[in-house]
Amino acid sequence: MKESFVSIENLDLKYQQKSVLTDLNWIINKGENYVLYGESGSGKTALAKIIAGLQNAIGDVKINFNAKSHLPEAVLFVESWYQFKNLEGVANFYYQQRYTSQQAKDTLTVHAELIHYGKEKGLHFDQVEPILEALNFSAFASSQLIELSSGEHKKLQLVKALWLKPQLLIIDQPYTGLDAASRKNLNVLLDEVSADGVQLLLICNDAELPTSINRFAEIVNEQIAISNSKAVQLVSNKKHTKEIPDFLKESPAFSSDNVVKMVNVNISYGEKQVLKNIKWEVKAGEKWLLQGHNGSGKSTLLSLINGDHPQSYANELYLFGNRRGSGESIWEIKQHIGLISPEFHWYFDANATVWQSIASGFYDTVGLFQQLPYTKSAQVDELTAYFGLTKSKNELLSTLPLGKQRLVLLARTIIKNPELLILDEPCQGLDQDQTEHFNHLVDELCSNGMTLIYVGHFESQLPTCLEKRILLEKGEVKVVESLNIEILS
Amino acid sequence: MSNYFNTLPLREKLNQLGVCDFMDSSEFLDGVSALKGKKLVIVGCGAQGLNQGLNLRDSGLDVSYTLRAAAIEGKRDSWKNATENNFNVGTYEELIPNADVVINLTPDKQHTAVVNAIMPLMKEGATLSYSHGFNIVEEGMQIRKDLTVIMVAPKCPGSEVRAEYVRGFGVPTLIAVHPENDPQGKGLAQAKAYAVGTGGHRAGVLKSSFVAEVKSDLMGEQTILCGLLQTGSILSFDKMVEKGIDAGYASKLVQYGVEVITEALKQGGITAMMDRLSNVAKVKAFEISEELKDIMRPLFQKHQDDIMSGEFSRIMMEDWAAGDKNLLAWRAETGETAFEKTPAGDVKITEQEYFDNYTLMVAFVRAGVELAFETMVQAGIKPESAYYESLHETPLIANTIARKKLFEMNRVISDTAEYGCYLFDQACKPLLADFMKKVDTDLVGKNFNEGKDGGVDNRTLIDVNEAIRSHEVEQIGATLRKAMTAMKAIKTA
Repeated sequence: MKESFVSIENLDLKYQQKSVLTDLNWIINKGENYVLYGESGSGKTALAKIIAGLQNAIGDVKINFNAKSHLPEAVLFVESWYQFKNLEGVANFYYQQRYTSQQAKDTLTVHAELIHYGKEKGLHFDQVEPILEALNFSAFASSQLIELSSGEHKKLQLVKALWLKPQLLIIDQPYTGLDAASRKNLNVLLDEVSADGVQLLLICNDAELPTSINRFAEIVNEQIAISNSKAVQLVSNKKHTKEIPDFLKESPAFSSDNVVKMVNVNISYGEKQVLKNIKWEVKAGEKWLLQGHNGSGKSTLLSLINGDHPQSYANELYLFGNRRGSGESIWEIKQHIGLISPEFHWYFDANATVWQSIASGFYDTVGLFQQLPYTKSAQVDELTAYFGLTKSKNELLSTLPLGKQRLVLLARTIIKNPELLILDEPCQGLDQDQTEHFNHLVDELCSNGMTLIYVGHFESQLPTCLEKRILLEKGEVKVVESLNIEILS
Repeated sequence: MSNYFNTLPLREKLNQLGVCDFMDSSEFLDGVSALKGKKLVIVGCGAQGLNQGLNLRDSGLDVSYTLRAAAIEGKRDSWKNATENNFNVGTYEELIPNADVVINLTPDKQHTAVVNAIMPLMKEGATLSYSHGFNIVEEGMQIRKDLTVIMVAPKCPGSEVRAEYVRGFGVPTLIAVHPENDPQGKGLAQAKAYAVGTGGHRAGVLKSSFVAEVKSDLMGEQTILCGLLQTGSILSFDKMVEKGIDAGYASKLVQYGVEVITEALKQGGITAMMDRLSNVAKVKAFEISEELKDIMRPLFQKHQDDIMSGEFSRIMMEDWAAGDKNLLAWRAETGETAFEKTPAGDVKITEQEYFDNYTLMVAFVRAGVELAFETMVQAGIKPESAYYESLHETPLIANTIARKKLFEMNRVISDTAEYGCYLFDQACKPLLADFMKKVDTDLVGKNFNEGKDGGVDNRTLIDVNEAIRSHEVEQIGATLRKAMTAMKAIKTA
């Protein structure tokens, strides 16, 4: 006789007058570990939050905890997109803050945060150490929370979840931002906690899963469809057939043949060196793939190019033909560049509409602070239409599904037809379909001769236009090579 | 040294108090060019020093830091702040002689010592910049006649100055040139370029004078900004506990309440703040704030009078000389209050609940902002200056209370503000004793609308709305806020 663990009856959820889930029924029995998948915007995250009691909906959700288990009677939901706060609950941080050295510390260290969490939940510290080890996170113990990248924050959330071992653990996009080794280790750890009695519900479209996963559920037509194996997903053949706006067909105005030149660049925080003797040249029109494991220094390298790193002033670095620190302002540098990264997205203005967000790309500001002249405003309209965002142009960026938010920020990066496009893990958190669509757009947009630096992992799909690759390892350049198809497969 | 303001004839006093010009963005078309290629040397590398320096350098200017030899040798925090961000750091002797502009961003209390040390080292015709005029106006510091003296004062904490700059915006900034020290007539051009360098020109720049800045800044910080928020918070908390409201709830309501309430103030003035209340609650809040204004008016006037006459600075400097005896005793006392010692409870309070259950604070804020503004304007300070030093800054201070209560507020604000807050709080609490006896939990702790039918008299409501909206602080505020277009939401816990 199966014993039900979670039972959901007649669940209805509407978002802005539109039905998302209708009369949904779902019983998760004891011992069942699910993967929940479905199209972007189908309501996966909302459903998970409803189960975790973080969102309200009409209908019944009952969780039948095991009172005899040694595990806490709790549902823990790990978000795909985690906004950390400091102890006082203030989250008014900004993107460049992690690169700036300030003695007045605003956030805790990872170690202090874990001690705080353990105390709150009554956990033993010796039990977290093996988890830190397995996820390759021990080295971050003394790092300030503000210094962590989005992938590292994700790991910290996973560490807490695996340490707590709630009776039901729900993870939204567990593999986001993790490199290959960490993904494998995560699966082993998930199997371990599962063997200990934790039931899993993972929201993802990935193929490599923990072996303890034994059920699959898909949200189809606002309801749940259950199977024992994952239905083969049809990659949609929606080809993007729209013409690129004319103003983006023109080749960008290159100010110099040398877009980036680094001569022995070194960056360190106190004793910790994050970049060592970096030599790298990017010429106008080149399409680079930048790779490296979590914490190898990729984001720091890019922050130097985007004028975001205070230490760039003491290094020999040339941007667009000029020596850095020769009297230019960061706004003059940013004029040449369009950039997105998960961290940039993180700190983006939550009060900006879609249209304002795209328009702000003209001025490289986070949010729009000025009126646009007519021609620029018309270009924003044109690009908004090209990305299929016209209907949502007056909605707040932060209320859109993650995939759409990324498209908006991609539109923002190219609105001024920049010489250099920097896409730092632009598809993190997107599903396969969205990733393909996104990269297809990147290929089209770059066909006008724009320079590209793209950060992505091997296993994820990449734009086809990439032709060179630089690999970082522990802050050093490990490989610089021309890219051919074999490396990508 | 004698009080500079008191040496002036009345005509000149009024003249300098009345300098107040909200500058058009066309004034900043020259960008940073007046400082381009000049050597800027910042004295001190705390929150303002570091963050302003980062902005100025990112605007293409040549910035280095000078610290006392002891701070360099001891590798103090200020030394680490500067060196770890790759700034050149040197002693006064090493850097000051070559500096074109010396920017003094040390705490007020050290100004006399710092200026006395650096002035002899400064080269002929250089510029000395302050971010607060206390040293010049109240302490009467005399600056060498060949030197230009300017002030650039971002009206936000250092961390905000940086955060807004990298977002592509800035914080409202006040600039001034000291009329006794502008031998080459370059002061204003340099102050404007400095404001551009820190991003201030995007959020609005007010041209003021050293005198107007000091007299209005002191008044604002000791009455509405710190004083009344401190007194009101403690009285509210104690009242709730006295009436049996859960202490954890009371602590959270008070700690975060001012921030949520003044967020409405920041976005739409007193009108917006009052409009967040139901009609009945609004009428009540209006009535008690009128009563509060009557009770506190003499105290506000006394503070303004003492600031104008120099009496306030005199007794504060006496306390400095006595090793901050009064101040430290009071700081310790604040740390020991029941509010400070009760952690915020683990309860969820919705944004609207902060208004409905804390009507008393809405009344305190309206009374305090209007009184401070009115008193300043009556004393000859222009409405624009008075607006910045009262309404504009209230949400910023409320934010520090939300972070770590009153002790944190007093730690973050300047020494002059803390001393003024001490004087105000001492006097204000007894003044409000009778008033507080009448206050019950419908005004603080519970929903004011509970058990009421919500009906109000048309005429009364119209009159109340009219009185709120037609106040001068609302009219000048609407104009100034429009100039500062982007309003960032403060997150609520």
